[in-house]
Amino acid sequence: MSRATAPLALAELVRVDPLARGEVAVLPDPAQRVLRVELAETFDRLAHTPAHSLVVLHAEAATGGWSLAAALHVAWERGAAGVVVPRPAMSEASAVLARRLGTALLVVDDDAVDVALELAARTAAPEAARALRVARCAEELAEQSSVRGVLGVLNAELSPGLVALVAGGSVLAGRAAAAAQRDGYREVRMAVNGPGGRAWAVLVASLPEAASAVAAEVEVHSAEAVLRLARLPLLAAWAQRRLDTSAQAAQERAAFQVLRAQVRLHSGADLVAPGLDDDAGQGADGEVPSWSTELGWRVEGVNRAVWLQREGWASQHEEEPAPELTQLLRSQWARLRPGWPLVPDDGGWVSWQNSPEDTAPAALRRALTGVASLLTDHGLVLGVGASHPGPAGLVRSVEEARLGARVGGGPGGITWFEDVGVRAVLAQVSVPEVADVAALALPRLASARDRLVIAETVASVLDHGGSLVAASAELGVHRNTVLARTARARELGLALDDPGQRLPLHVACHGLVRAWRATGSS
Amino acid sequence: MSDGELTAADVPALAAGALLYSPSLAPSSLETTVAWLTDLLERGGPLRVVPPRTLPPQAGCAAVCVIGSGSALADLPPTGDEFVTAVRELERLSGRPVEAVLPLSAATVSALVPAVVASQLGVPLLDADGMGRTFALIHHTAMHLAGLPVTPLVVAGATGESLSLRVPDAWRADALLRAGIDALGGWAALAAYPSTAGEVAAASLPGTVSRLVEVGRVLLASRDPDTTVARLAAVNGCRRVGRGRIVALEHLSRPTDATIPTHPSSVVVEQMGPDARQLRLELRSEIVAVFSDGALTAAAPDLITLLDVERGVIAPLDSLWPGDLVDVLVIPAHPVWYSAEALSMVGPASHGIPLDHPRRR
Repeated sequence: MSRATAPLALAELVRVDPLARGEVAVLPDPAQRVLRVELAETFDRLAHTPAHSLVVLHAEAATGGWSLAAALHVAWERGAAGVVVPRPAMSEASAVLARRLGTALLVVDDDAVDVALELAARTAAPEAARALRVARCAEELAEQSSVRGVLGVLNAELSPGLVALVAGGSVLAGRAAAAAQRDGYREVRMAVNGPGGRAWAVLVASLPEAASAVAAEVEVHSAEAVLRLARLPLLAAWAQRRLDTSAQAAQERAAFQVLRAQVRLHSGADLVAPGLDDDAGQGADGEVPSWSTELGWRVEGVNRAVWLQREGWASQHEEEPAPELTQLLRSQWARLRPGWPLVPDDGGWVSWQNSPEDTAPAALRRALTGVASLLTDHGLVLGVGASHPGPAGLVRSVEEARLGARVGGGPGGITWFEDVGVRAVLAQVSVPEVADVAALALPRLASARDRLVIAETVASVLDHGGSLVAASAELGVHRNTVLARTARARELGLALDDPGQRLPLHVACHGLVRAWRATGSS
Repeated sequence: MSDGELTAADVPALAAGALLYSPSLAPSSLETTVAWLTDLLERGGPLRVVPPRTLPPQAGCAAVCVIGSGSALADLPPTGDEFVTAVRELERLSGRPVEAVLPLSAATVSALVPAVVASQLGVPLLDADGMGRTFALIHHTAMHLAGLPVTPLVVAGATGESLSLRVPDAWRADALLRAGIDALGGWAALAAYPSTAGEVAAASLPGTVSRLVEVGRVLLASRDPDTTVARLAAVNGCRRVGRGRIVALEHLSRPTDATIPTHPSSVVVEQMGPDARQLRLELRSEIVAVFSDGALTAAAPDLITLLDVERGVIAPLDSLWPGDLVDVLVIPAHPVWYSAEALSMVGPASHGIPLDHPRRR
């Protein structure tokens, strides 16, 4: 027996007409083989049914009530593959009996003789029936416009097997159990490649073990055919979704830039300049652009912005983050901070909290601890601005948040501008250039293997006005360690005690710490 | 009943037995007839109940019953002289005086009216009948199987009218009578099978009247279903197919034909316990078959009846509800009904179930 002539399983037969037009009432063993079709119009005929026949009841044998119960019993005795019954003879009690006997029961609305003829044609040419099944499945797949819909069709088609779409280690859609190794199940995998032939995801089907080697081969072959068909609709649905969200992100990004430009135009002032009146932005133009609501933004009232960026990122030297990262962040951010937009802007991402009135920051401080794992996962830091009214306030808050993020050093990667104060000036120090200068001015430090530790220690000691005790508490090391490191710093040419060098040294150490943390200490 | 006499005190047992053999009947439908017979026996004294062979072989006999609908009888009570009228008319047609009567079927109200007639006529009641239970048509009798003619017959109604009939083919009698009985009010008194005591002794089923009284006593004595079933087994070979709950009632569950009244329906009982099966009861005017997980385990002419387990009484077929706990009981018919000829008349095939009777497999 080859794959082409391997008999059809009931699960395959119910997926093609005429049974696909009917209803599967009971299907205890989908892998049951169907060797032939028997049109039984009398009980005499029924009593001589060969094993593995699919019995189509007709005339006297399909008069309803007792006849279906009796037919199920005979089918069970004769080892038939199942019973096909016209709907008028079907009853709920018979379905219960079929389940108890473990006999498949299929209900049809068409004429029993036509059904039997059609079924006989299917069983006589199994390969043709399988092709029909695949064609039917292709039609259904073509109607799907979402990843979820495609996986729905696959799971129905390969039932009782399970199908999932897996990318990396996580299940993107479908039944998660399919991705787990289960006893008595075999796995069929089909790689789904994205644009440019890059591997994007894998379709994993988990199928029950087949009764025989030939059956297993047939099942794997059918499953592969179906999974292969699903690849294109999947990619189309994924691309569609990606296109939609990419376009949305791009639109929001442009909109935010327009908003910022408008605010700057009307205020005519440098927003980060100290001494700017809180009400200046709104006073110049308190109007909220109408298109902001179309994007789902709220900027009237009081805004407090946050700025996300990659750790150690400096805008003028590095490329923009990948659109995929933006997609990922947007979806995760929407879950963590519902109602907060997330707009890509200048190499980072802007988000803000909007409320009708100024609120105490304590609640937000607690709430933001919930995003710590997101920051860790993606190597991000977050800055939080102060709260200001109106669109102009929002733009100002964004700048504050960005400075906060640049300064960094807050617990859990979150830095509040209100905690940073004037130290924000340090954020303006260009990290790569400080590193270049240090390499020339402090060559021994720059070439030392422990340069990051030394720079951190010196920065901390200077932060605390030369107090070794305070620095050791901040760094979490013993005072003697701090003492030893400052001694080492002096060896490396860092003149901590020279008042004339203390300020440039302090600034340089802060810059070097950020530069070396970003690149690694060696 | 003792020493071949039926007294007023035996009537409740006779009625209870009659109900076992007619599960489609509600007990209330017998009330009028029970009161009538009790009154007759109290005033006229005990009735002689004798085996046919104790009479002179040439003594004239007739089979008596109520034909038509039992509920019509409850709505239109007898005036009292219909049965005597029918017997007298039959005597005139056959030219032979009736010296004893027997029930056409010793079941339902037709188990009581022959006693009424015998009491009214002052003749003995034969301890025998034509069916040993009840079948739908008047030629479904052991007498017909033995070759006794059904006709001439007479039906008399509460309207004071009567019809007499003579047919060469027994099976035509019911078809011809049906319209007439409708016009008579839905039921009528029937006197048929004019014969001699010798013919009845050879052709009828003996002992069926006294058995009814015995069965009735068993049913009245205990409300414990297990006790009742065990005692019935000793009297009439009753066996329990299973105990379970009614889970579904299906109406018009099969195609019907015109030969037997009442529409087909099904009752599905889920058996209790570890070896539980699904029992499917097929109903017409009675329960005609029991399928156990689809296998035919009992069928007409077996008498299939339901015992209400919670109340310990026979459950009438018109008051079954899903959730009722019932014992499905099967009482074998007289062996004469399991011959090929008899099965073609009253077997499962006659009810549209073309399967071999379990007793013949």
